[in-house]
Amino acid sequence: MTDPVYLDNAATTPLDPRVLEAMLPHLGGRRGNPSSLHAFGDSAREGLEEARAGVASLIGASPGEIVFTSGGTESDDLAVLGLARSAGPDKRHAVVSCVEHAAVREATKRLQSEGFEVSWIGVDEDGLVDPAEFAASLRRDTVLAAVMWANNEVGTVEPVLELADICAAKDVPFHADAVQAAGRVPIDVSETPVSTLALSGHKLYGPQGIGALYVREGVSLEPIVYGGGQEKGLRSGTENVVGIVGLGTAARLAREEMDDRVTHERELRDRIMAGVEEIPDVLVNGHRGRRLSNNVHLTVSGVQAESLVLFLDSLGYAVGSGSACSSGGHKASPVLLAMGLPEREAFSVVRITVGKDNTLEEVDDFLEAFSTAVAQLRELSPLYAG
Amino acid sequence: MSDRYRQQVVDHLVRPRNAGELGDPSGRGESGDAACGDVACFTVGISDNVLEQVRYKVYGCAACIAAGSALAELVESKHLLDAASVSKADLQDALGGPLPAGKEHALTLVLDAMHKAFEDHWNRKAGEMLSEAERGRVAGGKSVVAAMSGGVDSAVTALLLKEAGYEVATVTFRLHDGERGSRSCCSPDTVLFARDTAHRMGLPHFTLNLKELFDRRVMQDFVGSYSEGRTPNPCVACNAHVKFHASSFLADELGYHHVATGHYARVEEGPTLARPVDASKDQTYVLWPVPRDLLSRTIFPLGEYRKAQVRAIAEERGLAVAYTPESQDICFIPDGDYRRFVRKKAAAEPGDVVDREGRVLGRHTGVVDFTVGQRRGIGVSAPTPLYVSEVRPRTGQVVVGRKQDLEVREVGIRDLNWFLDPEKAACVQVRYNGSPVPCTVEEADDGRWLASLDEPVIGVAPGQSAVFYTGDGERVVGGGVVVRSDS
Repeated sequence: MTDPVYLDNAATTPLDPRVLEAMLPHLGGRRGNPSSLHAFGDSAREGLEEARAGVASLIGASPGEIVFTSGGTESDDLAVLGLARSAGPDKRHAVVSCVEHAAVREATKRLQSEGFEVSWIGVDEDGLVDPAEFAASLRRDTVLAAVMWANNEVGTVEPVLELADICAAKDVPFHADAVQAAGRVPIDVSETPVSTLALSGHKLYGPQGIGALYVREGVSLEPIVYGGGQEKGLRSGTENVVGIVGLGTAARLAREEMDDRVTHERELRDRIMAGVEEIPDVLVNGHRGRRLSNNVHLTVSGVQAESLVLFLDSLGYAVGSGSACSSGGHKASPVLLAMGLPEREAFSVVRITVGKDNTLEEVDDFLEAFSTAVAQLRELSPLYAG
Repeated sequence: MSDRYRQQVVDHLVRPRNAGELGDPSGRGESGDAACGDVACFTVGISDNVLEQVRYKVYGCAACIAAGSALAELVESKHLLDAASVSKADLQDALGGPLPAGKEHALTLVLDAMHKAFEDHWNRKAGEMLSEAERGRVAGGKSVVAAMSGGVDSAVTALLLKEAGYEVATVTFRLHDGERGSRSCCSPDTVLFARDTAHRMGLPHFTLNLKELFDRRVMQDFVGSYSEGRTPNPCVACNAHVKFHASSFLADELGYHHVATGHYARVEEGPTLARPVDASKDQTYVLWPVPRDLLSRTIFPLGEYRKAQVRAIAEERGLAVAYTPESQDICFIPDGDYRRFVRKKAAAEPGDVVDREGRVLGRHTGVVDFTVGQRRGIGVSAPTPLYVSEVRPRTGQVVVGRKQDLEVREVGIRDLNWFLDPEKAACVQVRYNGSPVPCTVEEADDGRWLASLDEPVIGVAPGQSAVFYTGDGERVVGGGVVVRSDS
């Protein structure tokens, strides 16, 4: 059997060999603590600051505005909890979309349990937040607003520029989760007035376990990790130098190669969309135009996603499932439910996300396997009468 | 997803065995799990109790699909008794071991679908039989169909028979739409629990759908009785028309000789019913209508045991049912509020409360709310306590009187079922927890029988059973239904 084909790049991307190469010296001899005064410390500090500049360059920030964290989740938590907890007692209201990643969603629920009031902003059937509704929900006591740049499940790209402008006009801090968007959508914080913005290494062909939070100059945050005061006191603990160097390199490459990557991904994505849409009762979810270049999100009627994913896995293709079912209870995706998908259909969705290294041949072979798997599972399904 | 699936599961997923649906099946069963919308469907082709063909379809997770495939492969060309014995543990073995955490429901789902296909097979075979049961054959031999409700008594019944060397097949009846999650008998959860219990004992388990028969013979009769001023006994109606007939049907189909239930009673030569060892659990009063030919093939193993012993046996053998609560008085009214149940199904017109001379003492909300002998809820104040002495549905009157006004010395009885010579009837019991009263009995002209009581009894309600016992009070001579004194 040939090597399996990886089409789940929204879950994690492969590590770019060039990133690995940049990381290796820090795993080997050049091991130091960036806080140390000696030469070993110097070397680590250099790597750290170079990486900070690399990440800043991807989003148009200045290096001093980048805080390294353990990943996207920590970045989101630090932003949401940090913004809310640093504000005065008169700011007890948050505005957050219904389609956020669990990191933002759960951090917001945490705020709720601390007594904050939350306005959850709904989306239309494509997963788009309505700027008018968003604007109307902002209040004098709103401590923060959060809407993701692009959705991790259905790939819809939100009108973040507009939303951030609205917030800036009303002086409300705005957080954007750009974990999926970074490297695929041009992000420039000098044009888009976000207060904070979350990034993750392993969605950018960098390593897992590393992330960054952009914190605009002048924005105040209460840390969630306390200790030696690293990262300007916003993220104590000895830095993950290896990971940081990896993220910095990955970010730099992403900026340099973004146009080519996006063009390539789009070609693959559109080929998959066209192919799967030839199969009856397969529907594309998410916005067609305002969409990540690598995302195909589908409802496959009459088939449970979990079985389809495993079937495809056995044929050598790795794709993502939407909501997993277990007898432990319902876990239909809140994103899909917010978009109005019926609960049963929320268990029939798969997410195919291409990456820079996938090829047209792989996509064509995948389409064949996909149609075989869907046909066989539907043949088995008492609920599909195609 | 927590842990990975085994290779066997993936293999069944990608290369399913026996997938599809039979065009002209002898039974079809579907089971769905609300948790995530999984649906399994089995179609079976059965001939001479052999599962010649089996096909399955599943909408669900990989575990469900693989479990369906493995089960279909496991049972094809097996005898029904073997197929009905396949447990969740057997199926798990066929899949190479435990499923990932949270996926165990797949086993229950596909087994339930297969069992429902068997159930459908029986119902198709029975045709009208299970809606209007026929008579079984004469008993003999050591094979038995044991009815299992999911409670401790019926489980121990099956166990004792197995240990006594009987070939045992268990059966659970679907009698009514019990609420999911409730511990009322016949609820879907109870059926699954009974199946599990049977499989743990290594016994085959079947289900029969008797809802239509039970509704007509028991539930409609129950509601109708109140409307007509009678006090029904649904257990008697079920024993007369449902439970024993259905068990016998399955025994005939399987070529089995006996049927058994977890009643506390004994069958003696005749056949007749005799009181059980545990007098406090005596159920002979509700068993009188079992037809003689069915009783002659019936075994009540618990007649020889005390309830405490039965629980101890269950505990000792590790049956989970050892700790189940005592069953409800009326299985289809789990909350015990039978007035509310009747009122939901029957119209209730207000009427007069009158005394024995016909003087109006007050108003009532409907005759369905009253039963002879009742003291509470009459709504009329009086210097001495008032009791309902008669309910007159035609005029809508509820007649009340003092306690001594309720005394009767003569009871009319119809629909008699005699096990022994009526001359042997020496005493009669007219209430479930009453004691027998010495009497003489004679046949009246119109097919009724009259029992003349040696001492007065109060609160004899039309619709209740009158059961005659022998002089020593130990054996049932026969029984019938109390009729109104004026009819």
